[in-house]
Amino acid sequence: MSLLQKERDVITRNEYADTFDFAEIENFIANAPKELFITHHFKKRDRLLVQPRGGFPTYKKMFELYETFMGADIDVLPLTIDSNTRLNDYAMAQKMLRLSEENEMDMLNGYPLVNHGYRTTRKMMTHFNKPVSLRHGTPDARLLVETALASGIFEIEGGPITYMLPYSKNFPLDKAFLYWKYVDKVCALYSKLNEPINRESFGPLTATLVPPCIVIVIQLIEMLLSLEEGVKSFSVSFSQNGSMMQDIITSNVLKKLAREYADTFGSHDAIINLVYHQWMGAFPRNKELSDQLINTNTVIAAMVRADKIIIKTRDEAFGIPTMQCNAQSVANTKYTLRTLKGLPLIHDAEEEENLELEVRAIMDAVFNDPADTLWRKVFNTIKSGLIDVPFSPHIINNNKVITIRDDEGNIRIIDKGKLPLPDRCFAYEKSKVNLPESKTEVITKIIHDIGAML
Amino acid sequence: MKVVTGVVGNDIHVVANRLIDISLQARGFEVFNLGVNTSLEEFIDAVVETDADILLISSLNGEAEGWCRDLQFLRSEYDLREDVVFVIGGNLAVGEAKQDDIIPKYRSYGFDLVFHQVDLNTGLDALEQYVKERA
Repeated sequence: MSLLQKERDVITRNEYADTFDFAEIENFIANAPKELFITHHFKKRDRLLVQPRGGFPTYKKMFELYETFMGADIDVLPLTIDSNTRLNDYAMAQKMLRLSEENEMDMLNGYPLVNHGYRTTRKMMTHFNKPVSLRHGTPDARLLVETALASGIFEIEGGPITYMLPYSKNFPLDKAFLYWKYVDKVCALYSKLNEPINRESFGPLTATLVPPCIVIVIQLIEMLLSLEEGVKSFSVSFSQNGSMMQDIITSNVLKKLAREYADTFGSHDAIINLVYHQWMGAFPRNKELSDQLINTNTVIAAMVRADKIIIKTRDEAFGIPTMQCNAQSVANTKYTLRTLKGLPLIHDAEEEENLELEVRAIMDAVFNDPADTLWRKVFNTIKSGLIDVPFSPHIINNNKVITIRDDEGNIRIIDKGKLPLPDRCFAYEKSKVNLPESKTEVITKIIHDIGAML
Repeated sequence: MKVVTGVVGNDIHVVANRLIDISLQARGFEVFNLGVNTSLEEFIDAVVETDADILLISSLNGEAEGWCRDLQFLRSEYDLREDVVFVIGGNLAVGEAKQDDIIPKYRSYGFDLVFHQVDLNTGLDALEQYVKERA
């Protein structure tokens, strides 16, 4: 028996999980309908796939949510996981699930997949016969992902950096790398049986003035870490940043470099997709204005030539949206995409060259680290501050980079901390902003820039 | 002057914490930022360790009260310098609350300055004024 299979036996033997029958699961995946695989839909490249967020504690309510989404002609169904499961606290998830079932009240902020188990959940997934995307935020997602794949959920979001630096203060980053290696290995294994399993990174990070070069570097790294384990389909992603021009440039450079780095590392056969997140910062408390923001975001998603868009709702400022509100948002987005035709192709040679140079400089710093494996190189680079995510709560993050918006809304770096940016790139960034004289005014401007959509 | 700062309790609101850090540095303070999810004991430990002049605790999720009640007790336990200034600011109550209720309550816990839903720079101006007057 392989070491991986031994580890899988240990991980899946859990009192809160189903008893795993791996032979039966392999058989299910090998014969699963193509419709369940998002990779099958990506291959057609005939439209921008629309996916909302959403998860309720009970099977019954989850089923109702999917029925409501189907009425809005949805492309990709979401399965958002509750916060206890994200922290591997299945006992608490179990207790809250029972309370939710008995009292018809939602005591969890998502679907406790491990507790429901794959045998039950698979019935729902095969009933709707749509691709489902697993949305969580779990540092140790091994059991969760095993359960998801066995249930017929063939897209797994997350990664060791993007599910760690924005969400945790002190979960050990080195452990996260190893846990996600397991996830990638299992996804790669199942990818050989049918259409490939898609892995997706979470590019928005803290969604707080993160400069494009950092987003792209982390997307490329998580992509390479997955491809290294044999993953054959990967989605890089980013979120609306506040300037349409900068979003388009980010997309152009990210697409180009993702292909280039994948090829350089020998993954010529890997399929790379682009996912665009609607605004991930604070939403206005006026629902009509939120609708406008969502619509603008949909236009930009089309402009950046994304393969999938992940949408928000008009309830964003108030908490978890109702099913109807969520489905309406899907319908609105689909309408905008259907009627939006004749989009121009946009390039900006100077901006793209600058961004590309920045990304290459940081990637070179990663590869030049003397450690023996890619994940260790990345770990060292984050630890030494060569990669630095603004507004990350994690203790390992350097927290020295400072960014601000220029007059066009582009995010520019005004303090590079230890980022290994070439001098001319940093000079270019600074030349774009007119900083106020006093430091107090600079901070007032940063606060204003964070809440750009309020 | 040395300032220890951070967000108290199970509160992961990092954005304001980072802005406080940058603002204090801009005003010439030497900053020791403990970040989010920090307990009162950790704060007091850091004040002793760094020989800080000011402890500036922030809170956004409204749960600060439960975490800060023991300040007087810890102050006596730890044998702190007499002149350390204790400041708390942010959103200091769950739901709506009146300034007139909140400020006296937190002062009775041992805070010298209390800022409930006050703009960051206004609060820091008041802190600088307080320190100057005391000197």
